[in-house]
Amino acid sequence: MIKLVNVSKSYLRGVKILRDINLYIEAGEFVSLVGQSGSGKTSLVKILIGEERVDDGRVIIGDWDITKISRREVPYLRRQIGVIFQDFKLLPQKTLWENVAFALEVCGQPPSKIEKIVSSVMRLVGLEDKKDRYPHEVSGGEQQRTAIARSLVHQPKILLADEPTGNLDSINANEIIDLLVRINKFGTTVILVTHNREIVNHLKKRVIAIEKGSVVSDREKSKYSL
Amino acid sequence: MFLSTIRIIKFSLQDISRNVWLTIATITILVLALLSVNTLVTVEVLSRHAIDAVKEKVDISLYLKADASDEQVASLKTQISQMAKVKQVLYTSKADALRYFREKNKDNPEVLTALRELGRNPLSPSLIITPNNVEEAPQLINEIKQIKSEVIESRDFADNALILEKINDITKKISEVGLIIISIFIFTSMLVAYNSIKVAIYTHRREIEIMRLVGASNNFIYLPFVLSAIIYAFLGVLIIIILFYPFLGILQPYLEVFFMDYNINIIEYFVNNFWLIFGLQFVAVSLISILSSWLAIRRYAKV
Repeated sequence: MIKLVNVSKSYLRGVKILRDINLYIEAGEFVSLVGQSGSGKTSLVKILIGEERVDDGRVIIGDWDITKISRREVPYLRRQIGVIFQDFKLLPQKTLWENVAFALEVCGQPPSKIEKIVSSVMRLVGLEDKKDRYPHEVSGGEQQRTAIARSLVHQPKILLADEPTGNLDSINANEIIDLLVRINKFGTTVILVTHNREIVNHLKKRVIAIEKGSVVSDREKSKYSL
Repeated sequence: MFLSTIRIIKFSLQDISRNVWLTIATITILVLALLSVNTLVTVEVLSRHAIDAVKEKVDISLYLKADASDEQVASLKTQISQMAKVKQVLYTSKADALRYFREKNKDNPEVLTALRELGRNPLSPSLIITPNNVEEAPQLINEIKQIKSEVIESRDFADNALILEKINDITKKISEVGLIIISIFIFTSMLVAYNSIKVAIYTHRREIEIMRLVGASNNFIYLPFVLSAIIYAFLGVLIIIILFYPFLGILQPYLEVFFMDYNINIIEYFVNNFWLIFGLQFVAVSLISILSSWLAIRRYAKV
C-alpha cells in the first residue's frame, strides 16, 4: 500500500513541483502515472524511493512512514522497492549476470543465495542464455529486461518503472510492458510512469494524470486523457 | 562482515582492473606529484649537507707571540679546549705555519722570493679553534677576547665575526627558503593528488548512483573507493621507489665530485630514512586519497 497525504514539494527559488498530492494505491495494483514533461511525475518517483523529501504532507509505504526518512535508512527502503528507468542504469563494466547479482552482493547476501535468485530472475525475464554478455552487447530491450531482473532480486512489493520504454522501439516496448504485467500478476504493485499514450490505452488499468504538480484525474481502467 | 569485506576488496580490484586507463592516469599523476616531492627532499638534503660542509670549515685563528714558550701555549690550549663552545683546538707552530704558507704559495714565486729576502720566519704560531656550533662562534669570540694571557698576540676578530655572521645569515635564509619551497611543492602535489582522485570518482558517479539505487549501504559504496585510493597510493609510492633509487645512483658520482673532501652519500640517506620518507609519503597520500574520495562521493552521490 502506498499513501500520499497532502504532499507538496518545491525546489530552489520556491518553484512548486508538487502541490497537495493525495493518493492511495492498493497492494497489487497496476497504476499508470501520466503527465507531460515537467508535470512532477519523476519528482513523485524520487520521493517514493527516498531520494527527495517532501516539504509538506506525509508519505507512507506499507507500515513505514518515510516522510522524514534518514539517509541511513534509505538503503533499506531501496531494497523494498524495485526501480527501473528509461536509461536502464546498468554498469557497463559488468556482465548482465553481474549487474543483477550486484544488487544482492551489495546487501551482503551469500553466494549460494545470489546464484539461486539471479538464475530465477534471469529466467523470468528470458535472458539466461545472454547472462555473460556486457550491456553494450545486447539490445535496448534486453538491457531493460536486465534492469527489471535486477529490480526484482529483493522480491519487492512495489516496482516503480520511470519511463521504461522511452528508449525502446514499439516491439521491445510492448515486451517490457508485458513483462511488467506478468510481474504484477505475481502480486507486485507496479507504478508505471509514462507519457506513451498507446501503452496506457492498451493496458486498460488505473490511470493517474498529473499536471503542473497536481493530480487532475484518477480513474480505474481508464485511457490516456491529457 | 567477512563476506562484505571480501566483496569490498573484490569490487575495488575489479574497478582498478576494468578501468585500466583511469588507473594508469591516476597513478601517473600521483607518481609525478611524489617525484617532485622526492626531488625537493633530495635538494633539501644536499643543501643541508652543503651548509654543514661550509660550517665545518669555519674556525677561529688565535695568533700567539713568537717567543711564547711551549708550556704557555699548552696551558692556553688547555684553557680554550675546556670552554663549552669549543669543539677542537689545534696548535700550529711557527715552522708549521711557514710550511703551510710555502705550500699554499708554491705557484707564486714573487711571494716566495720576498719571503727568502726577508731572511727570517715572519709568521706567528697560532691556535686554530673549531667551534661546536658555528652559530655560537660570535659568543665564543667574545669569550676568547676575555682570556688573560700574555702570549696572545692579536685579539682582533672583527673580520671573523663579520664572515661568521654572514654565513649564519645565508644558511638561515637557505633553510627558510628551502622550507617554503618544499611546503609549496608538497601542498601543490597533494592538491594534484586530491584532484586526480576526485576526477577518478567523478567518472564513477554513475556506478555510485546505481549502488545507491539497488540499496547498497553508504559504507559499501564508500569503502571500495577508499580501498582503491589506498591501492593507488601504494602503487604510486612503489613506482617512485623503483624509479628514484636508480636516479640517486646516477646522481651519486656527480655529488662525490661536487662535494670533494666531504663525505656525502645520498643513496645511504634514502636507505637509512626509507620508512620515514616513503612510509610518510604513503600515509600522506593515502590520507589525502581517502579524504578526496570521501568528499567526492559525498558531492557526486549524496552519500
